[in-house]
Amino acid sequence: MKLIREIWQSIVRRDPLSTDKGKSELVFLNVWLHIHPAKVKKENLRFKHSFYLGFITFFLFIILVTTGIALMCYYRPYPPQAYQDMKDLQFAVFMGPFLRNMHRWAAHGMVVCVFLHMCRVFYTGSYKKPRQFNWVVGVLLLLLTLGLSFTGYLLPWDQLAYWAITVGTNIGSYAPLIGGQLRELLLGGHSVGEAALLRFYVLHVAVLPSLVILLTIVHFWRVRKDGGLSRPVWKLKPQKQEALVTIGAPAEAVPLHVAAASTDKTYGLMEVVTGKPIFETITPEEEEDTVFSYPYAFVREAVVLMGTVTTIMMMSLFMNAPLEEMANPAVTPNPAKAPWYFLGLQELVSHSALLGGVVAPALMVLALLAIPYFDRNPSRRPGDRKWVLWVFTLFVVANIALIIVGTFFRGPGWAWVPPWVHVVARPE
Amino acid sequence: MNRRDFFSWGTVGVAALCSAVAVSLGAVGRFLMPSVFYGPPQSFKIGDPADFPFGSPTFLVDEKIFVFRDREKGFAVASAVCTHLGCTVAYFPSDRDFHCPCHGSVFSPTGAVLHGPAPRPLNWFEVTLTRDGQLRVDKDKTVPPTYRLMV
Repeated sequence: MKLIREIWQSIVRRDPLSTDKGKSELVFLNVWLHIHPAKVKKENLRFKHSFYLGFITFFLFIILVTTGIALMCYYRPYPPQAYQDMKDLQFAVFMGPFLRNMHRWAAHGMVVCVFLHMCRVFYTGSYKKPRQFNWVVGVLLLLLTLGLSFTGYLLPWDQLAYWAITVGTNIGSYAPLIGGQLRELLLGGHSVGEAALLRFYVLHVAVLPSLVILLTIVHFWRVRKDGGLSRPVWKLKPQKQEALVTIGAPAEAVPLHVAAASTDKTYGLMEVVTGKPIFETITPEEEEDTVFSYPYAFVREAVVLMGTVTTIMMMSLFMNAPLEEMANPAVTPNPAKAPWYFLGLQELVSHSALLGGVVAPALMVLALLAIPYFDRNPSRRPGDRKWVLWVFTLFVVANIALIIVGTFFRGPGWAWVPPWVHVVARPE
Repeated sequence: MNRRDFFSWGTVGVAALCSAVAVSLGAVGRFLMPSVFYGPPQSFKIGDPADFPFGSPTFLVDEKIFVFRDREKGFAVASAVCTHLGCTVAYFPSDRDFHCPCHGSVFSPTGAVLHGPAPRPLNWFEVTLTRDGQLRVDKDKTVPPTYRLMV
């Protein structure tokens, strides 16, 4: 018994969780939990502030990694075996359809949640100084999410996959100068074939997930370093300079401002350096509004995790991921549609491949990346930001409207067909 | 080593390092660009001229081409790949036009763009007669739509 206790204590070296010290040590002595602060602001935990969209996105990514690894056990990235393996997963493998459904719905959910998360961050003005770069990292993560969805779309090697990727990669070939070569590099050939499937597989299971993990680490680290989750704007208190204590600095240097320590905390001062911290500091009044991460933050995160997993599982029970007939390069289905999140792009492309397929999306991405550097208005209050809010809302509405048009209002030959009209194919 | 030498050698060193990185990146790029393409050949025989009927074109599925045969004018071969985004166009005998299912481009019987987002007319490929009397199509050689092979 003593040995068991000794082993346990060698693993978990913190004080009991009934003490404040134990609650703190749980966080900062644990490599996985120490990305959290030991104490968090109460308002940051409110659901209606962030809707936990960042957490949901991250949890969906975890579902994708785990189900993805499971699916890899039964998948050979080579035609026509790839399609046979999909059929196996669909009909022969125990729980195969369920895992594949989970992977698909989590992927779609991740695209949606990443986008909603971006909207939330924009509307609360949380990309403003000092968080500009983290917004950029977030936009890159959005692009990687779309890249992961796009590369994953080819893997089933059915008609849907083949033609969506044919259309998608041809859009890229309209890029000036490098377009054609870029497409060859991506496909490893002149058209979507064996080489393309292998390359998309490598991107999907190795390259892009690694990049997502790397950038997610930076993203989380920055959230923490930039002062935690950004506070709701109506909770922002004007910073009181007099409340801060000035710790000594060399005579001619800028004094170092830090918050006054509350009496019940223990600090260890390792080194005194001069200069102002780049991140938001907590004033003593705000210190009063904090609670220990354990259990308040962790319980909420666990609930969101379980909610996310449960939702995806329920969806996977009742909705099946589509699998059409095997890819046939000779027969283009009519209409041939890209994945839904690219249908806005396809709608633009149906008007002009260069303008709609290359120029417009490139400008959109550049605009998103540049937002924190162009919007120099420091205020986060909606009243001071009417103009930017309208422009962003227009961007969001335009994107959603294009996707709705592409998804529901386009029929054979990309003709305007409302969803309530039934079209009989024209005889050849 | 004096200050001048340090900066001279330092510049040489940094330049050498940058070149090495550039060459390595170039090599990685070249590695990713396949040296051999295992796709279908661009030049191939499609069979005996007598196999093709007059009138409506014959669609060859694997090669993605339409073979036209006309009593007076002879043979012509059109690409079935839409110039917009690479979907396979279909031929409608009713209006003798080519229709693309992806974005609604329509091409005339000569391959000219009638409607839709396609930026260029359909390609026409050179068709020749081999010594053993078969038709050979070369997709690397495009020809004007007026090109015909009389057999």
